[in-house]
Amino acid sequence: MIGSLAGLLRRAWRHPSGRIGTAILLILVLTAVIGPAFLADPVVMPDVVAGATPPSAAHPLGTDHLNRDVLSRVVNGARVSLTVAALAVLLALTVGAAVGLIAGYFGGWIDALLMRVVDAALAIPRLFVLLLLLVVWERIPLYALVLVLGTTGWFATSRLVRGEVLRLKQEPFVTAAIALGAGSWRMITRHLLPNAAGPVLVAATLGVGDVILLESGLSFLGLGIQPPTPSWGGMVLDARPLLLSAPWTAIFPGAAIVVTVLAVNLVGDALSAALDPRSA
Amino acid sequence: MIARRLLVPALLLAFATVASARQRPSDHGSIVIVMGGEPSTPVPTLLGMKANDDVSELMFLRLARPGLGKSVSDEHGYEAELARSWSRRDSLTLVFELDPRARWHDGVPVTARDIVWSFERMRDSTVDPDRALLLRHITTVTAENDHRVVIRFRRAYPEQFYDATYQVQPLPAHLVDTIPPARFAGSAFVQHPIGNGPYRWSRREPGRQLELVANPGFFLGAPKLDRVVILFSRDPDARMNMLLDGSVDAYEGMSAISGPKRLEGNPAYRIESQPSFDLMYLLFNQRAYGDRSRPHPILADPDVRRALAMGINRVPVLRSTYGAYSQGADAPVTGAHWTRSLVPAGIGYDPAGARALLQRRGWIDHDGDGIRDKDGVPLNLRLNLYSGSAERGLMAPQIQEQLRQLGVGIEIQRLEGAVWFARRNKGEFDIDFSGTTMDPSPNGIVQSWTCAGRSGTNVGQYCDPAVDSLIERAMTSTRNPESNWRAAYAALQRDVPAIFLASPRALFAVHTRYRNVTIRPESFYGSIWRWSVDPRRRIARDGPGA
Amino acid sequence: MVGGSPPAYRARRPGRLTPVSRWLFRRLLQAALTFAAAVVLLFFLMRLAPGDPLSRLAGDRAISEQELEFLRRRFGLNQPLVTQFRAFLGGIAQGDLGVSIEHYPEKVTSLLASRLPATLLLGGTVLLLNFIVGVWLGVTQAVRRGSRFDRWMTRLALAGYATPSFWLGLVLVAFVSLRWHLLPAAQMTDPLLPLDASPWTRAVDVLRHLALPALTLSLTSIAIMMRHQRAAMLSVFRLDYVSAARARGLTERRVLWRHAWRNTLAPMITLLGLWLPILVSGSIFVEAIFNWPGLGSLANDAIAARDYPVLLGTAMLVSGAVVLAGLLADVGYTIADPRVRQK
Repeated sequence: MIGSLAGLLRRAWRHPSGRIGTAILLILVLTAVIGPAFLADPVVMPDVVAGATPPSAAHPLGTDHLNRDVLSRVVNGARVSLTVAALAVLLALTVGAAVGLIAGYFGGWIDALLMRVVDAALAIPRLFVLLLLLVVWERIPLYALVLVLGTTGWFATSRLVRGEVLRLKQEPFVTAAIALGAGSWRMITRHLLPNAAGPVLVAATLGVGDVILLESGLSFLGLGIQPPTPSWGGMVLDARPLLLSAPWTAIFPGAAIVVTVLAVNLVGDALSAALDPRSA
Repeated sequence: MIARRLLVPALLLAFATVASARQRPSDHGSIVIVMGGEPSTPVPTLLGMKANDDVSELMFLRLARPGLGKSVSDEHGYEAELARSWSRRDSLTLVFELDPRARWHDGVPVTARDIVWSFERMRDSTVDPDRALLLRHITTVTAENDHRVVIRFRRAYPEQFYDATYQVQPLPAHLVDTIPPARFAGSAFVQHPIGNGPYRWSRREPGRQLELVANPGFFLGAPKLDRVVILFSRDPDARMNMLLDGSVDAYEGMSAISGPKRLEGNPAYRIESQPSFDLMYLLFNQRAYGDRSRPHPILADPDVRRALAMGINRVPVLRSTYGAYSQGADAPVTGAHWTRSLVPAGIGYDPAGARALLQRRGWIDHDGDGIRDKDGVPLNLRLNLYSGSAERGLMAPQIQEQLRQLGVGIEIQRLEGAVWFARRNKGEFDIDFSGTTMDPSPNGIVQSWTCAGRSGTNVGQYCDPAVDSLIERAMTSTRNPESNWRAAYAALQRDVPAIFLASPRALFAVHTRYRNVTIRPESFYGSIWRWSVDPRRRIARDGPGA
Repeated sequence: MVGGSPPAYRARRPGRLTPVSRWLFRRLLQAALTFAAAVVLLFFLMRLAPGDPLSRLAGDRAISEQELEFLRRRFGLNQPLVTQFRAFLGGIAQGDLGVSIEHYPEKVTSLLASRLPATLLLGGTVLLLNFIVGVWLGVTQAVRRGSRFDRWMTRLALAGYATPSFWLGLVLVAFVSLRWHLLPAAQMTDPLLPLDASPWTRAVDVLRHLALPALTLSLTSIAIMMRHQRAAMLSVFRLDYVSAARARGLTERRVLWRHAWRNTLAPMITLLGLWLPILVSGSIFVEAIFNWPGLGSLANDAIAARDYPVLLGTAMLVSGAVVLAGLLADVGYTIADPRVRQK
């Protein structure tokens, strides 16, 4: 039996991956929150004709094709990417948990219908759904991106939660309580939360990494975060032609994606190891 | 004795000629060209993409082609293609004598019947309504004998010859006249087109490549390059990579932003550029955003439009985007138009004047937020921007910044292609960042800049009857078109219907092993058959061709 | 796989079906239903988009309203959405997915068919590469559980998984192809390979072109294979018969591969369903960057061109493949693992 959430986190923290990942993530979040205050405006272009300049004291990571400070754009991009990912995953969790609860609790045709929809949705690769949804929007505001990423990310979570609910319904103490006239709804919500929290947390953590990757891919295709708002994927897109002549314009935003997603996944790795110690 | 002494060198000379005619190493060679779209139906009369038109240039001729650097209304400046010669019976009748050597790729001679049939097909508005519109002044096309075609016009105008020759690339009537127009696109002919030009169809691997081979019996001279392979990628960066890794010899329509930079110091390629028919401009909406029943609350005032034009310093904008590869435009006239030199100087950069003018029209920053306002309405404008154009994406923020310094707020709306296009057509913009390819004839100005065009491509709804009549006069005047065009352009400029930015030059990267590289302004592909490979610089794939 | 009505299995009377066939029948029905729902979802998802899909045809030239109207009629886009949907379903029933807008008059089915081999080649190579390398690494990790090798392989795999394929592809092209000129930067074949080139030359040519895109896709996805293999091995190690095999004095190598690994095969098969969507998503980027003439670049182009019929066809094909892979994985799993059959 899995212990409480606190125990899970404690075990994850003991895992070296968990500590490394958390440390990187903390640094990233801190930089994203306070960094922009100390850096140049990521949108302003001082002298466009000067073009991309290599790293220097004034611009530690150089400047991009519009002579904008790359460091400032990477840091501001972190702020945007992390916010979008966190909100989207939160939304996905909420929807997924709700659908899973409803399906598992009511069962019958509601369950069958919901799970068939989930099956169908899972059959279409998420990137396709995203692309199809995003060309619908004439302009893509940030909230739209969050909405779209969130509403396409809940399918697996709903399965997970539904499974937990079904399992709980079989537990003797639950059936007994129901037989004694206790509200099964209350039983389930009370017991579900601590039981499902672990797997859901793992799914959420890995979901954040996936969303960051997806968002950067969409931005790379020009369908994600819209300029002039800086985004890592958009920066790589802009830097494509300069990859050889001004590699710093493409290498740093790409590295930012790798480091962030890696940190998130290290935490996820530690969490899942803590969840199932035998597989670690 | 004398005869004998002469005979030897004469024989030697003859041998040499025969030998060189047989081997002619320079006559072998190949070229791989990369395009932005897949030319899946490269046949005239089929509506489609530029890539199709481009490939059809290699396979299908016209009656004649505008001479390099000549006015399109100068019928003596044209170069012969299917027509060997032409003459005029009167101001309404043109007579073309077909070149008897012209053959379709299946060996059948090109006859007057082909020309007549093709004109009939292309004047049919159910086949290609746009082309039918362009050919509306033609009343009849008849064959007087196998090689004489007579084209009659409804009225006299300077560009009759252009309409008679440029718009129609004849098809082989003997192969296609039994195919109904609706079935044509799906017919076997389109799968394996038979033309009359320097190159004939070889094969197509859908999604991968298309290959044409030289037509050795081409009546204007055998092509020097015997294989033309077309590759395609929608991604400009992938196109550039294919050039840089050596799998492609020529790249048409290279981006000015990164192309020249990436080819810098690369001895394998040279950049060719030439004036194009492309025009970049900021189009003002004369009518309210999305509501054509009301005038635009801000932009209906010509002084405001003028002030905005005065506030833009296009020199750094163009330099950062196109480098040396653009020329400023001051009217809807591009670098390749023959009337280009007739355009009067445009509105110069004068930020102080712009501020004063706005002030005079009552646009003052009352609330100190940096944006001028008048009667409580801030001077904020929405600029619609097509997100697929890297060039426009680079220019727009710079223009935004320049206008901000003037106290004018510009909100850039980056829009996906279809949406941008739909909004443009519906008038849902204050300023539209437009980029168009204009007709090679200055008459194309009618479509977008006259009252009559308002139901069509004149999406800014600009209408000035005085300008209309000046344009009409310039188009129909046979005596002194130059001064009439000058007057028309000057009148148009006074109204400031748009801020004309530039006519970008067309950029091509071509491998340096090719010789005799000439490029026509109307098409990169029109004279490839005259190019050849420097025999000393041949590479493996030039080797004795297929 | 593309369209086609659900397979009409004429079953014997249900009462006489064995449990396995009944399970199979239900599973097939479920797969068909899932696919049908995905198709409906896709159709409406796509046709909700504003803007005229035909306006892209205009490209860089001005297109008149008349011409647009003419084209709308050609593609039936002037009809109400419901009529279009009915026509679309009617087409599917006949194995017809309509005509491409961008590549008119090419049929969507023939476009898909022409692009499928390239994608199968790339996807198959990646799958094979990941299976061989991923399995070996995963097994080795499980054997050396907790060692430095295990930890670092996990981290490396996670780093690969964290790398966006588009970025890795771009970096590889820039350095390997354009700077060091080791491998071609794009395409699947050399466009001017002589027509009489030997099969060997052709194969080498394709392999050279395949190397970078396959490497990109493999590096960014191999983590899944490794992690699952490692976990599967660890769970098998705990089982009695592995200890029993060891006790019988069999060589460690024989125990490892013959006894332990063979029993992880079934769970690894189920990964196929998980795999396909990842491969397809990755190939949209990778094929575009390498101009690989497969379904990924077809889909990418269709998105840019708003070529609805092609986009719909590609998405249907991929969804069909995912459903089918899930089905095959389930069936394979059932056959491989008798215990599941009993349930």
